[in-house]
Amino acid sequence: MNPALAFLRSDSGKRLGACLGLGVALALMTGATGRQDDYLYAIKEDLFTFHLIENLLIGVVVWLLFTFWPVIRRYLTRPGALGLLAGAMTVIVAQTVLGWYEPEDAKFSGLATLVGDTNGISALSSAFFGWLAWAQLIAVIVVGAAALVLRNRALFWVGAAMAVAAAIIASQAHKKVDELAGVVDHATGVTVAVWGYLTIAVALAIAAISTDDVARTREFVNAVLGWRPGFALGAAATALALYSLGVSSWFAPKSLNATLADVHSLFKGTSLAPIAVQYFIWLSWALVIVAGALVLVAAYFRSIILGIVGAAAAAVGLVITMISIHAITSLAANSENTYATKGPWQNLGDGAWWTCASFLALAAAGLVVAQSALKGRSATAADAAHDPSAGPRFLYAPGATLAVLGAAAAAAIFIPPTLEPSWQTALVTSIGIYMFLAIGLNVVVGWAGLLDLGFIAFYAIGAYTTAYLVGSLPVKPPFELPVLWAIPFAIAVCLIAGVILGFPTLRLRGDYLAIVTLGFGEIVRLVAVNSNGITNGPRGTEDQVPHPVINLGFVKFTFGLDQLPYWYLLLAVMVIVIIFFRRLENSRTGRAWAAIREDEVAAQAAGINPVKYKLLAFAIGASTSGIAGVLFATNVGFFNPDNFKFEFSILVLAYVVFGGMGSLPGAIAGAAVLTWLPEFLRDQVPSEDRQMYIGAVLVIMMIFRPAGLIPAKRRATELRGHGPDSAESQAVPAGGGLGGSYA
Amino acid sequence: MTSFAKAGTDSAPGAQPAAGVAFDVQDVTLRFGGVTSLNHVSLQMRRGEILAVIGPNGAGKTSLFNSLTGVYAPQEGRITLQAREGDEPVSVIGMKVHKVNHLGVARTFQNIRLFPALTAIENVKIGIETRQKSGPVSAMLGLPWQRREEHASTKRALELLSFVGLAHRANDIAGSLAYGEQRRLEIARAMGTNPSVLLLDEPAAGTNPVEKRELADLIKRINVEDGVSVLLIEHDMKLVMSIADRLVVLNFGQKIAEGTPEQIQRDPAVIAAYLGTTDEDAAKAELEAQPELRRIELLTDEERERENEGETL
Ligand SMILES: Nc1ncnc2c1ncn2[C@@H]1O[C@H](COP(=O)(O)OP(=O)(O)O)[C@@H](O)[C@H]1O
Ligand SMILES: [Mg+2]
Repeated sequence: MNPALAFLRSDSGKRLGACLGLGVALALMTGATGRQDDYLYAIKEDLFTFHLIENLLIGVVVWLLFTFWPVIRRYLTRPGALGLLAGAMTVIVAQTVLGWYEPEDAKFSGLATLVGDTNGISALSSAFFGWLAWAQLIAVIVVGAAALVLRNRALFWVGAAMAVAAAIIASQAHKKVDELAGVVDHATGVTVAVWGYLTIAVALAIAAISTDDVARTREFVNAVLGWRPGFALGAAATALALYSLGVSSWFAPKSLNATLADVHSLFKGTSLAPIAVQYFIWLSWALVIVAGALVLVAAYFRSIILGIVGAAAAAVGLVITMISIHAITSLAANSENTYATKGPWQNLGDGAWWTCASFLALAAAGLVVAQSALKGRSATAADAAHDPSAGPRFLYAPGATLAVLGAAAAAAIFIPPTLEPSWQTALVTSIGIYMFLAIGLNVVVGWAGLLDLGFIAFYAIGAYTTAYLVGSLPVKPPFELPVLWAIPFAIAVCLIAGVILGFPTLRLRGDYLAIVTLGFGEIVRLVAVNSNGITNGPRGTEDQVPHPVINLGFVKFTFGLDQLPYWYLLLAVMVIVIIFFRRLENSRTGRAWAAIREDEVAAQAAGINPVKYKLLAFAIGASTSGIAGVLFATNVGFFNPDNFKFEFSILVLAYVVFGGMGSLPGAIAGAAVLTWLPEFLRDQVPSEDRQMYIGAVLVIMMIFRPAGLIPAKRRATELRGHGPDSAESQAVPAGGGLGGSYA
Repeated sequence: MTSFAKAGTDSAPGAQPAAGVAFDVQDVTLRFGGVTSLNHVSLQMRRGEILAVIGPNGAGKTSLFNSLTGVYAPQEGRITLQAREGDEPVSVIGMKVHKVNHLGVARTFQNIRLFPALTAIENVKIGIETRQKSGPVSAMLGLPWQRREEHASTKRALELLSFVGLAHRANDIAGSLAYGEQRRLEIARAMGTNPSVLLLDEPAAGTNPVEKRELADLIKRINVEDGVSVLLIEHDMKLVMSIADRLVVLNFGQKIAEGTPEQIQRDPAVIAAYLGTTDEDAAKAELEAQPELRRIELLTDEERERENEGETL
């Protein structure tokens, strides 16, 4: 038989066919959008141009990967391989999906066209955007791969040096373009590409030094992060602070982009408070250096006292930084100069906020040092030995929780102000609110193990309760309340609604319960749609739900259209709820839920009333959702039944599953990632395709990490089977009678 | 934890049912479609005794346990529970499983039913905490009495774990424990609910001879030190004969004998049930299929030997 035909008939040949098919599909997916006047336009553009060849090549690469996987896998375990791969992927992503030039909203290819059409651009830039960008990436990959295969030390160093050079070229080429255009550009593409190259450089350098045959990535990370508790966080925070002080923008109204030093000259001769004046000359540096040095030295010597002193110094630094930036912004707001800002805290550059974040993280690092030193070194070994899950060990080292919390707090408080308004809106209205909902649903699904498909109904009830209480619905309350006072009422109403739904249904088994809750969700929405006299029907709230006002006597704050304050409100409530739920999880109630979920019969035999605890989970989950409803209502002002569609219940469920059922940090992270992703993709892919990418992320996640992003310890054990002895337990005969359910 | 006097010492005068009876089973019949798992079974479990239920596989022993704990509701007959001296006698038929537990009845399962993803100490705490009061709100607010209860629960759980010899395994995942350890952990969890009656369904199955001896000792201690009445299903005749005060023998859902270990070993109906009288071959085949039957034979020999040597127990 003809050898070509034989190949086509072999498995490998069929696979090649499938991969080429994938290439065609990709070409259609990523290609031109259709046109009204020429129905075949998109197909012609996608399939009869060079575009098709590119995508077929991707297909061939996939086929090669499949075919030679066993070989490739061997090389992938070598030191440096994963870093090279991750870095290369990062650069590719940066050069395909990320934005590179904000003023024109252009990606890499868009900017390349712009550069090509512009005269007088530096040779470096035109080369980079012409051909060098991809060529240097390929060169780095080829050299790195060759070094991996040949295990040649010199070649590793060459690859690392090339990666560094590539990073410099990319950043310089981009900078020259911005300089020529004279704009302030916040596009992330080039930064991400530089990080990708630096990752490659570090990976190849480590590979050059390493003598291992097989990379021990996990041990490496554990060794670095667990070397001295608090050191890694302290070092990262200090580095970020120094970078912010030296390079970043501190004050950026309109087109101004003033660094720390610029701010000093800008405010020279004004009535700026003396401490702020000093701050912008030298105090900032002194504070960072002193606090950073204290914390790092404390970490190195595991000194409790130095750790606490360092944390205190960092706290002082944070306070003085905030006083200083408040001083310049309020001064600018009151003055008549051209840089006038909207008010205090406005128009600050990234550097100001990053410095705040660094000080907070540094304070946390100091406390980590003190805490872990208190716990003693012996605890480290013992905890590690007892570590039941095979996860990254450093997470269980003493102080690790505090370190993660400190970093998270620093990011949650000080990063949002640096975001663009559209991102701040997304942060509040989708990311924050859905995190909240996921925390609530996690109680029902993750802890009590009840599948609830109508969770959004309680959110709706919370929102409508608020609207009623503040008089925004056609039916008026006996007396109108300030909007935040609706929170306890919403909790109570949702609690009752949860019990009303739960009482008749919780006797049902899993799948029936899911259907009933689904029906409940729709009923609530349809009631909202159809009771014109009460809810104003599909038109939604009649009057605006007012924005909240916080009046504590000495401070009064009125929320407005600016989204940032809502984020802090949400954060504050969320932190309280998280603390409450953490305690709940480790209490008698939380353990009873775990027991019911694991084995209801055994739980009953131990004296637990499952109906009572399921009802409790329903009620607590519902009331959390109710709080989210209040915050949503007061934030948007106007809403209608379309805000509570069935699909949102499913989305929240997906967030919980994605994050890791039963894991509080998992639910938060899952919601954060999956609500962030569509916002991110909004600028990257055609809007009709967004759901497809999210679906793909979900599928891939569930295949490779079925226990979720941050698995709950208990749940992970359930999924994994139960430890090394489980084979033994199964080997014993089950004995007489029905070995099954009730034996 | 309260202790309860042994049955022999109590002499409450004749109420209904008879004084000193924890479980009074009258003429109970349990059917599953065509299968009759329990056929007009009557028995009485006295407070403070160790009563063993033996019988071949499928005899209805586990069905009896499930009927006693509210898992199954027998179609006919009465089951009256009076776990503690002075309790109101109640019928458990149709009662919720957790309610029966709250009346002072704890149990283990033939095929271990722990909460395998939780740690050993958490398993025990779950049992203990079903007798506590603090609710979710006090847990969320971290109120003082909730903390006190939590503390008490941990302390008691550690006591129970060392009582069953698992103190060193407290923080290990229950599912990762060895088989014998899991069985003992189940007992600790059951004991956490502070029961007056403990039902053990084949607690020695799958354990080695050393563990069996320890288990016998443990059951004895539970019975004597804590004054808990024990109802025990067990195939290991040596174990049963060494600790049981009385035995009930079930076969095909019917009670065929009841008495002291000595009486049971000589009972012709029991010997017939285990060895068969009509068909020698069938009996032999059954013997081969069910090793534990061979054990009873061997062990009765052993018992006889021991009798010759003179009583040791
Ligand atoms: N849930 C059930 N459904 C149907 N039949 C059952 C059920 N439970 C027990 N049986 C039947 O009852 C009989 C006794 O079983 P069981 O009580 O488990 O015996 P033992 O514990 O003595 O080995 C068996 O024939 C068994 O098939
Ligand atoms: Mg049985």
